[in-house]
Amino acid sequence: MAERNSTDSAESRYSEILSPSELFAARSRCHKIPVRGQKDFFPNDSDEQRQRLEQSLSEHWSLTSEERVERLGNLVKATWIPSDQVVELQSPAGKFWQTMGFSANGKQYLLPEEALYLMECGNLQVFYKDLPLSIQDGYERFLSSNTVSLLQYQVFGHLKRLGYVVHRFDPSSQPSTYARQLNLPQSQDKAGRPLKRKRSVSPTPMPTSSRTEKQDSTTEMMEVDKDEKDGKPPGSHLTTSPETLEVQCSATSTADEDGGRTWWAGDVLECKESNHSTTSTSSSRWDFSSIPFPDLGSRESLSDSLTSPDPSLLPGGLAVGVCDVATWRQKINLRKVAMSSKEQGREDDRRRRRGDVNKDREVQQCRNWTEYQELMARRQSRCDGRPAHLWNREVTPLHDPRQPLPTRELLEKISVIKSTNLLEGVSRLKESDEWGICFSVYQPDSVAEFKKSNPGKPYSHMCVCSFDGPVPDLRAIKLLASQTGDVPVVFAVVDYGDISFYTFKDFQLPLDVYP
Amino acid sequence: MMEEENSTPDAVGLSWCDSSPLLWRIEDLKWFRSQGLVGALLGSLPRTPRQNGRMGRPLLLLPEEERLLTERCAAAALPAAKHCAVEGADVHQCVKQYEAEQQQSYEEQRVLALEDRKSALLRAMTSSHTDPQTSDEALQRRLEALDCSFTFPLSALAVQLSTARVGLTYCHEDRAFLQANWPIRKQDNPRCEVRYQVFSDLRGRGFYLTSAGKFGGDFLVYPGDPLRFHAHFIAVCLSLDESVCLLDVLAVARLGSNVKKTVLLCSAATDGNVLYTSLQWSGMV
Repeated sequence: MAERNSTDSAESRYSEILSPSELFAARSRCHKIPVRGQKDFFPNDSDEQRQRLEQSLSEHWSLTSEERVERLGNLVKATWIPSDQVVELQSPAGKFWQTMGFSANGKQYLLPEEALYLMECGNLQVFYKDLPLSIQDGYERFLSSNTVSLLQYQVFGHLKRLGYVVHRFDPSSQPSTYARQLNLPQSQDKAGRPLKRKRSVSPTPMPTSSRTEKQDSTTEMMEVDKDEKDGKPPGSHLTTSPETLEVQCSATSTADEDGGRTWWAGDVLECKESNHSTTSTSSSRWDFSSIPFPDLGSRESLSDSLTSPDPSLLPGGLAVGVCDVATWRQKINLRKVAMSSKEQGREDDRRRRRGDVNKDREVQQCRNWTEYQELMARRQSRCDGRPAHLWNREVTPLHDPRQPLPTRELLEKISVIKSTNLLEGVSRLKESDEWGICFSVYQPDSVAEFKKSNPGKPYSHMCVCSFDGPVPDLRAIKLLASQTGDVPVVFAVVDYGDISFYTFKDFQLPLDVYP
Repeated sequence: MMEEENSTPDAVGLSWCDSSPLLWRIEDLKWFRSQGLVGALLGSLPRTPRQNGRMGRPLLLLPEEERLLTERCAAAALPAAKHCAVEGADVHQCVKQYEAEQQQSYEEQRVLALEDRKSALLRAMTSSHTDPQTSDEALQRRLEALDCSFTFPLSALAVQLSTARVGLTYCHEDRAFLQANWPIRKQDNPRCEVRYQVFSDLRGRGFYLTSAGKFGGDFLVYPGDPLRFHAHFIAVCLSLDESVCLLDVLAVARLGSNVKKTVLLCSAATDGNVLYTSLQWSGMV
């Protein structure tokens, strides 16, 4: 009994439950926020100041103590499902459904941060074990390290209150670096996206029946390709246009049906690529110089089929048969280039002028490399008017004064430190999980025609960090930039109640020296 | 001893959300402010939730505020939501109680709504009619009709979306709510130590402090309640033996003069005192 009493007293002290009459009265409550007056500079103990402070404080307390009161008809009812960390709607969704929530298995769900925001806005009443959750319950139950942290929710709420559409960032919706380099059309991506969103957030494993096998196989292959090629520097030498790539993809997927040829198609694509980049590839596990590349264009040497590749180059347990190249050859222009006599003459001339070093008599007389180099130096100094001593050492001037260049080109040539951009060299950096993008943000004015299934290009991508934490280094910034392409990455820096937004941008120094 | 603490009004109940200390109950907020501590409001304001100018509960404590309360034994951790969960038959009982309360609230609100309608009718009738006799009769008839026909739809029921957890009624460990299950949060970083020394010294001198990230400092120092006064200083906390980059000093001094505040370089001395150095851009030419 004593226990019961003390509970009651604690309750009366702490509960902030409104009585039915208070609830009824709250229906005609004012929705204006009192304007804060001009602040004073220094406290002077005057009655006037004390009075004003009291008034401000009482206004402050009446605002912060106010409880949310809503008509039951205006509230969407939902239940919290802790095992899946989602909130399931029990009554039809409101206007918010246009920009928030997702459906799976015929049910409508909200992510915890969305549910909490709607609770705070007085649009949603969430039940757990048939009892309504308070805002405090929402904060304590919904926010955790495996959903959204308090810091991230602060940023989410701040942006939502400003009217932005905010979604969790889904890395799989981003085209890969490789796809971007190829300027791959986005259509395929669009088809995949709504499913992906569902899949990533769905509480239960979703049957992916609607996703065709064909699509899967192509995307998988693209990913393999990406892994292979990430080692090479950007600014791809590969000039495959979107159309040719489509051809290759479709070739691959049709090959799926009759089996066996997939590997050839993949190989051809790979070899072509690698032949271009052998000089610069260092990280590749293939030694491409030792892999012969069939010259399909030469008529003399080639039969109509290619022999099986060296089994040591293939993954274990894989048998690849002989490849019929006849279909490939049909696609190539095999006619010999017929040169006119004029062109032929020019070609011969060029060959002659370039000459063959070994036919040079003076060179033939050289007995070793030193003599050859001396000869070369002699010849060099004979024909030019530049100070020879500057040019016969390891370090030479940046520019040969005998070759006139326009000022701008000269400036470009002698600039030892080249400017770079954020995306340069990203592929060489290792992934890190220290920094990650939290949210994709869409502008408020897009809300009217916003579609969750096809949100389009975000206005920005949001990283959340704290003032107590470190400043992202160049590596982190480059990595983040590479994940988002041309959408800017914004850092939301939270300082307890304040949130500041920062962004790092490429800056092109103006060049105003022109010839 | 527990009972003692329980009865002292000078203690606030802290709740932890994702390891941040939050205050939810309005009494706690008021007491906290009465101690000259400000904190930061994080939540949407119930009255107008879709704006960022005025915020509402919960109140987030700065680490220094949290430590100050701890050292004064003026705070206690409330049990987390998970530990308040009711089990089995209790759930059933709570649900029943909740439903009964809803039903009662509906009945009472229905009566209030009917009264509201009647008084509106009364006002309308008495103001428009001049003949007292006929109007009286008509009024009576109308009121009776209203009594019979009045319906109060359930959708019109006003319900409360509680801010703080009603908790204690649903909570097993009601009495243990001021338990000393205080998560010990280490702040062994020397910077934190300096920050705390500076914070407690300035608070001891009667200043109000808030976080000053947006001004590139550690604290904004107000001469009185921030509701009524502008901040005078930007406090930058430094260890005594820490060397400072001149450019940083210039930058923060320049920023301070632009926002009409004085920059204070604050360091804790070994004897427990705090040394203050003010920086001012003299503007001499």
